[in-house]
Amino acid sequence: MAQARLDRREQITGWAFIAPALILLGLFMIYPIVWSLWMSFQVGKGMNLSFGGFANIVRLTKDPVFLRALGNTFTFFIFQVPIMIGLALLFAVALNDSTLRFRGIFRTAIFLPCVTSLIAYSTVFKSMFATDGIFNQALMAVHLIASPISWFGDPFWAKVAIIIAITWRWTGYNMIFYLAALQNIDRSIYEAARIDGVPAWARFRYLTIPMLKPVILFTTVISTIGTLQLFDEVYNFTAGTGGPSDSTVTLSLYIYNLTFKFMPSFGYSATVSWVIVVLVGILTFLQFLVARDRKIKQ
Amino acid sequence: MNRIISRRGRMFGIAMASVSFLSVAAVSAGEISVWVWDANFNGAAMREAGSRYTALKPDATVVVDDTASQDDIRAKLQTQLLAGSTDGLPDIVLIQDDVAQKYLQSFPGAFEPLSDSIDMSAFAEYKVAAATLDGKSYSLPFDSGVTGLFYRSDYIKEAGFTAEDLNNITWDRLVEIGTVVKEKTGHQLLDLDLNDSGLIRMMMQQAGTWYFNEDGSLNIIGNAPLKKALETYAKFYQADLVKPVSGWAEYTGAFTSGEVATVPVGVWITATIKANADQSGLWAVAPIPRLDIEGSVNASNQGGSSWYVLASSDNKAEAVDFLKTVWAGDIDFYQKILVNQGAVGSLLAAREGEAYKATDEFFGGAPVWQDFSTWLSQIPSVGYGVFTAEVDAALQAQLPTIIQGGDLDAALQAINDQATQQMQ
Amino acid sequence: MTVSPMIAGAAARPVARAFVPGNAWALARRGLVYVLLSVAAFLSIFPFFWMMVGATNTSAEIIKGKAWFGGALLTNAATFFAQVDAPRIFWNSGFIAVVATALTLAISSLAGYGFEMFRSKIRERIFGLLLLLLSIPFAAMMVPLFVMFSQAKLVNTFASVILPTVASIFIIFYFRQATKAFPSELRDAAKIDGLKEWQIFLFVYLPVMRSTYAAATIIVFMTNWNNYLWPLIVLQTAENKTITLILSALTSAYTPDYGMILFGTVLATLPTLVIFFLLQRRFVEGMLGAVK
Repeated sequence: MAQARLDRREQITGWAFIAPALILLGLFMIYPIVWSLWMSFQVGKGMNLSFGGFANIVRLTKDPVFLRALGNTFTFFIFQVPIMIGLALLFAVALNDSTLRFRGIFRTAIFLPCVTSLIAYSTVFKSMFATDGIFNQALMAVHLIASPISWFGDPFWAKVAIIIAITWRWTGYNMIFYLAALQNIDRSIYEAARIDGVPAWARFRYLTIPMLKPVILFTTVISTIGTLQLFDEVYNFTAGTGGPSDSTVTLSLYIYNLTFKFMPSFGYSATVSWVIVVLVGILTFLQFLVARDRKIKQ
Repeated sequence: MNRIISRRGRMFGIAMASVSFLSVAAVSAGEISVWVWDANFNGAAMREAGSRYTALKPDATVVVDDTASQDDIRAKLQTQLLAGSTDGLPDIVLIQDDVAQKYLQSFPGAFEPLSDSIDMSAFAEYKVAAATLDGKSYSLPFDSGVTGLFYRSDYIKEAGFTAEDLNNITWDRLVEIGTVVKEKTGHQLLDLDLNDSGLIRMMMQQAGTWYFNEDGSLNIIGNAPLKKALETYAKFYQADLVKPVSGWAEYTGAFTSGEVATVPVGVWITATIKANADQSGLWAVAPIPRLDIEGSVNASNQGGSSWYVLASSDNKAEAVDFLKTVWAGDIDFYQKILVNQGAVGSLLAAREGEAYKATDEFFGGAPVWQDFSTWLSQIPSVGYGVFTAEVDAALQAQLPTIIQGGDLDAALQAINDQATQQMQ
Repeated sequence: MTVSPMIAGAAARPVARAFVPGNAWALARRGLVYVLLSVAAFLSIFPFFWMMVGATNTSAEIIKGKAWFGGALLTNAATFFAQVDAPRIFWNSGFIAVVATALTLAISSLAGYGFEMFRSKIRERIFGLLLLLLSIPFAAMMVPLFVMFSQAKLVNTFASVILPTVASIFIIFYFRQATKAFPSELRDAAKIDGLKEWQIFLFVYLPVMRSTYAAATIIVFMTNWNNYLWPLIVLQTAENKTITLILSALTSAYTPDYGMILFGTVLATLPTLVIFFLLQRRFVEGMLGAVK
């Protein structure tokens, strides 16, 4: 794509373009992050901190809540991200068809969830997931269940409810990125393929997907990070407890509790934050690797 | 670590000072700022107190900020105290009793001791105990969380019981009554949220224990009242007397809509219950049932909060004087907030006022406030310690197993292990 | 539902006639697409609809699960405006969101362009590092950030809310990925015409990437409008708070007035919705059309 070698003037221009962002990031991100890295080697409560070496990492391995949070976060990640990305892609491709009627209405409707304020959203979902809420009534009406599910009284169903809620909220958001990206694809390629008799699924698989790859990669990375930082839903649906029985506690909720709810244990919560960084690092690397791998095969 | 921050911070400060496009709001003298979390409850009570103080001292005003939730206030307070920065903190802040020790012990010197200037013996003993550290008490006790068993008198009557049948009973007896009520009326006895351990804590406190020993060490294994409380909790579920709920709206919805027959809860729920004027006369309040073990009484506490003066305040003397003058002295003020906000204060002398002696038609013409203030004086003091939130979390993790009839000793062991881990 | 007009529309299209055996199949698929989108749209709208219904009902009616419009709208509005200094609070939210969005788009799109157009080993490394940093939970950085702003005497100012959000790694990453689709011939042509790099950015790149800017505007505005944790910590006094903070406090009352709160959430949702309505056409117009 871009030139392999840049001359000196281009080098300077390159730095100039990214300089404002780098300066701000240095101030407001790198510095606090370095501070938090340093904190992760501190042990103690409140203001009484002392250097503890790797004590916090040892503590992590023995902490049942951390291990549950890690497990839950992975469960959410493995089930939720693919469902959401798949649906978003499907909606975007369907809505990109210029012959489709009511496109504006569909587009707005599907985007609405992520605009709906968190308060309205959590109030509504809590009432829909209530024991005599609309979900149970609907499921009983179609005889899928015999008695109402206590969604947030059961560790398994609580997870299902969280997955449903996040998918509802963020599918339209991801769809926006795909819609914007689809506009960048030259329509004439599609028309040519269509006239040549290439079936729709093949056009999707061999034209759309490869051309959307940078944005798919982008949304996957963002969703991975979003899931690993999952907080709003579990905090609001379970009154901040991550219950029942820690079945919905996530790493972010645990960090919040360690920082604000429990006896302030800042060093330890910084350590849990760094676990997220390491995990995202590994996952992002794998996602880039998968994306690159496919490119070579083509 | 502090040195690194301050040096870098100062350089940053100099660099940033020039781009400041809105300056910090100035605090004028004679102004006492207060953080509260409910405009209609503690906010309204504090405003009333403020106007009374201004009437006495015209140059003093009390500015009440009710634009944050309780969780918000905790997060702000904890961030600022951790950062060692007191910029913009108020003069007085409201803190719930069961988390007070965490702040007092984590941030020594951040709060002003009040027991030197205010006579604490005028307040309910258990409230003062919650804010006492090393012989000094740091709070001006505000609302009491004295508990009662609110119940639908119509359902109870329909099932063949009288008010006397609910008077000073045990929880086990309540389970028997609840079974009959469910048979006869079809209503569940009560609604419970597995993410909330309030009922279990209430049961523990009525037997004078908490999660900790006096020295702050864990008291889980061998804590007989706790074990009995968990056993009782499981009984409700096993007798199928519970409507499971999740979250505040569903919790209050179950009794305001008339679905469940009783609500064992702190007195601060009164306003929520009375908000449904069409149910007037259908409700009554009985003493909270006791645990069926030695030493348990028919009185307990749930929630409740108190006022703390921040040591960083420029206005300390005036803030203390304000609390002393109105909150520790004005009996008439307590009548007013009882009537208007349903706030039951902790000043013992307040019960001698008019409003406390009045009867309430909503509760069948009973003298409910006299009852509550009687129970208030019977609440056993317990040490809430600094790790209540951690143990709560450990306990909630076991609740789903416990209600299915899981082994209680194993559950207590698991709670103990997790809490031990979290307390290091 | 809306099946008949679309079948007619599809059948009239000449391209579809190229495959006679596939025609019925294409129609069936069309129908399926409509059903799928209608179901998704219904599910997406429902909570939003519920929120609007709630704004017209009393708190007691909402708890009882009333699902149709009621007569309490004016009461709810009156309670809301009595309890919340709405003009002030919405001004605060609006000012923060608009300034933050403008600055974020400017600074982050420049960086995204810079990273993609001028690749070098060291800048690639920096970019990789930034991606990693994106994953740090904000809660972990709050205390040091607060110390910084407190020492700069900026606590309780809008600057303290806006500044940390302006260089958004997320938006830089987004612009970089989108720039990959920017036709390099355009840039080469502009260079031959003698345009400087900043001119290319301003007069070629910016108009061509309109749909990307539109999407980013919506996302950034929404993020800032709903931002919660950091404004909560740095905005101290009632007159500086944002609508998101105020609504959160209202819900945590002992006896929340849900009717009034839902009226507030409807109001709080409108600005993002308006921006979405205004900008959504950009997704349809398309970039290639803009160039020609």
